[in-house]
Order: sequence, then structure tokens, then C-alpha cells
Amino acid sequence: MAGITDLGVGIGWRSEIDLTVERLPGVDFVEVVAENLHSNVHRGHLPESVTLLLERGIPVLPHAVSLSLGGADPVDLSRVEHLGKIAEAVGAPMVSDHVCFVRAGGLDSGHLMPVPRTKDALDVLVANVKLAQENLPVPLALENVAALLEWPDGELSEGQFLAELVERTDCWLLVDVANLYANARNIGTDPGRFLDEIPLERLAYVHVAGGVDHGDVYHDTHAHAVLPEVLGVLDELCSRVTPPGVLLERDDNYPSDTEIASELAAIRAVVDKHRG
Amino acid sequence: MVTPVTSQGTRLSAEEIGYLTAGPGRAAETALARLIDAGLVRVSREGLVSAVHLNNHGAMTELERRTLSYARTGVRFDQVVQSTAYSTEMKRLHQHLLDQKLMQQPRRRHEGWWFPLVIAIVLVLLGFSTPVFFLGVPIALLFFVWQRGRKAVTQAGREALRHVVATDRVHAVALYGFCGKVNGRAVGDLFELSQSIVKMLPLKQNRKRKSSSDGGGGCGSSCSSCGSGCGSSSCSSSSSGSSCSSGGSSCGGGGCGGGGGGD
Repeated sequence: MAGITDLGVGIGWRSEIDLTVERLPGVDFVEVVAENLHSNVHRGHLPESVTLLLERGIPVLPHAVSLSLGGADPVDLSRVEHLGKIAEAVGAPMVSDHVCFVRAGGLDSGHLMPVPRTKDALDVLVANVKLAQENLPVPLALENVAALLEWPDGELSEGQFLAELVERTDCWLLVDVANLYANARNIGTDPGRFLDEIPLERLAYVHVAGGVDHGDVYHDTHAHAVLPEVLGVLDELCSRVTPPGVLLERDDNYPSDTEIASELAAIRAVVDKHRG
Repeated sequence: MVTPVTSQGTRLSAEEIGYLTAGPGRAAETALARLIDAGLVRVSREGLVSAVHLNNHGAMTELERRTLSYARTGVRFDQVVQSTAYSTEMKRLHQHLLDQKLMQQPRRRHEGWWFPLVIAIVLVLLGFSTPVFFLGVPIALLFFVWQRGRKAVTQAGREALRHVVATDRVHAVALYGFCGKVNGRAVGDLFELSQSIVKMLPLKQNRKRKSSSDGGGGCGSSCSSCGSGCGSSSCSSSSSGSSCSSGGSSCGGGGCGGGGGGD
């Protein structure tokens, strides 16, 4: 994928921390939640902070949460169009969403729901992804989600499911190591096997995020500090491949600028360790 | 800065200075200013205020705790100020200032406040020819004093503020508000807040309140804090914004700090 071979270390841009993101040293790229930006986007309607980052030459990647590509409902092409418009407005080399569904039967879950890992569900996902790709101006990357349950009668492991998705759609992968760690804790996913099974050469970039323990359950909040164990999964990934980019994703409960900078530094240390 | 001390020897906090200067809105701004100064809240480019910690960590006063609680998720700058200005905690601060005799319940100046004085003068003149008219003079003067109204800040309160100077940015907010100026520089600039953010603070809307305050300035000046301040419960309509306009000499530059005197 030309132009994003080395994104570096980035952070999710959120309006609450826009000035923090602007001030942080060593932010190589940012990600914006596409649904949080106005649909009438062009340069003049982007948030001032995003425009400023673009003027500094910092890549801005739109990240969607509402395409519901794993759902049985028809893809809402207006959402795909919105995502595409934002990609064009920020000059993004790619966009992303999740391997999940967020609505069914007219109801919105308000959550990224895991897809049953069956051949039939994969067929639906592949068809939806292809339709989205046809209507997007840039390549699409898809992210693994955290799940608190596994649908019964799964036929593929998560890694196999994603590998086949990539093979059939030529999409890119956005690996969230925090989600992977959450699945390891909550539903017994083996991160090593996951990383063995996915086509790492199709890795677009990586998400890192925090969470918190609730008894035996790990709550993948993206609103707490990044655990060393999550950095451990990143370390494992980096030992196999040099990720084009690694991004700290924080969605709420934003800590001080110093703490955010420390988390970015910790991420960079893991990445740099393997770059030698 | 010269630490303001009351006649009882009590040191005034920045929040108290803010309240005495321009009312509860200004005190709320001052609490927020201290939190920004300490890095306990962040303000986004678009004016969203959010607490850096969820547990009110670092709050040193009731108003600060209240502000942090309200701003746990991103809340507009003006809403944070208004929420704190209207809070129970603010009422307690007001009560504390009443207890310290730095404030008193204000009384609105009536439209025809000067009329009893005219009556008194007429009675005096008539009294030279018919002395019984002198009996009415004290009554007319009492009416005059009553209708002239009463400032919310007492003489002791004004004395305590007399030598206050803004030598740090939190006290600059207390004295002039986020949209005021200190030494020719916008106070908002001291906090790297854009004018679009500080101008979120409401303008004073009640022109009558302004005009009834003969001290000029009052909280009706350019913006803000005063809007919320004067509108708040402890400075209700009956007060005619008096607490907001009582800052006296300390409120110089251009912001919402009250001029001399309203009642």
C-alpha cells in the first residue's frame, strides 16, 4: 500500500484531547472516528485541530464504527459514502472498520458485536466488504474486535476467519492487540496462534489500548491505562513483523498529557526494540 | 500579590476574591482557572472541559470538587462555569462571605430613590416657617436611605479587596474574569484559551440591571462570568446584580469586573 509503509507511532484524535494531541511530541499519525465528523466534510468543515495536523503533514486515517459489515442487513451505503468523503477530505491513504455487526432487525447494539465464525457468516461478511470496497475511494482495513462471548458452532478460529476474509476480499488488517489480549483473557483465544494464522504481510497498522479487570473478566474499556500484558502482545507481534504503524487508542477518561506521552513512549520502545 | 486579609485577619481565597469582585460566576471561573492551572482539567480547542482524573483528584475546595465532578466527560466551557455558579457549594461560599460580614443581603435601588430626599429638603424649607414640618424630615431621610439600596459587598469586603493585585493567572481570573484583561493582555491568553472559548461565557442580558447600577461597568460590561454570576441564586433579581458590581477599584481592565458601585 503506497504511502503508508511507515506510519510510525500515532494516537486516536478525539475532540476532548485535541490540544493534547497537537502538543504531544512524536505523534507520527492520527486516527479520527469517521462518525464523529460532519458529513458535509471538506477541508473547510474539518475540526480546526484536524486541519492543523494535516497542515503539519501528519497523516489522518478515518476509522469507522458503524458499517456493520458482519451483519445480515444490507450495507448502508450512505455510511460507506460518508466514510469515503472523509477519507478524501483528509487525504487518507486508507480507511478502516471492524469485523463485527452493530445492528440487526432495526436495532442498534451500541456495541461492536462479534460475528459467528462460520462459513455462512464469512460469505455474508465477504459480500458486504466487497460492496463497501467498491464504494470507497481508498483501501479498507478491518479490525479484530474484543468479545465477551463466542457464538456456538464456530467452524474457524479467529485467525483463520480473518485470513480467509483477506484472501477473498484483498482487504487489509488492523490488529488491535488490546482486543486480542481481551479475547485471550475472556474467551481463551491464543494470541500466538492468532498471529501465526493471519497474513501479517497484509497488516495495515496496530491498535494498542487499555482496560481493567473486573474479577475474572477483563473489561476492554479503551479508557484505562495500557497493561504491560497488552504491550507484551504487541511485543509478540513485532517479533514477527514490523508493523507499518502502531496507534494508541483512548476513547474516554483521558489522563494527563504526561501519562499519554508515557504510554506513547512505551509503545515506541516496543516497536523500536525490534527495529534494532 | 498582597494577600488580601479581612478586618478579622482572615485571608481571602482566590474564589472569595472572585465572588466579592463579580459574583458567583466569577468565583466559578476562578475555581475552573485553578483546576486548569494545576493540570486537573483540560480544555479542548472547541471548549470542551474534561477532568483529567475521575476521582476528583487534586481538588482543594468544594467548588473545585463540584467542577471536577461535573466535567468528568467533556462539557462546554460555559456550562461548567454556570453549573458551578448555580451550585449548592456556591451558596455555601456565599453564606460564608455573609458570615464573615464581607457581604450582606443587597437591596435594590428603587427607580425614584431620590424622591424622599427632595421631600426632606422641601420639609426643611417649610420647617423654617412652620417648625412642625421638621418632624417629617427624619422619616423622609429614612425612606431615602432605604430606597437608595444597599451594595452586596460590605465596606469590610471592599477593604479586603482594596489591595488585591493579580500577580498570578488564577487571581487574574478572580479579578478580571477569563474575558477580561490584565496589563493589556487578555486573561484567556494566560491559559492559552482562544477568544472563541472565553466568549462562550454568557453576556449579561439584563440591561435594566445594568442601568439600575449607577456605578457603571457592573457585570454588564463585555461578557461573561458576570452573566452567570449575576444570574445566580445568590445574586437574584432583587439584588439587581449588586454583588457583581461591587468590586470597586480592583476591577480595572475591560473584563467583567464590576466598576464601582451598583447597588
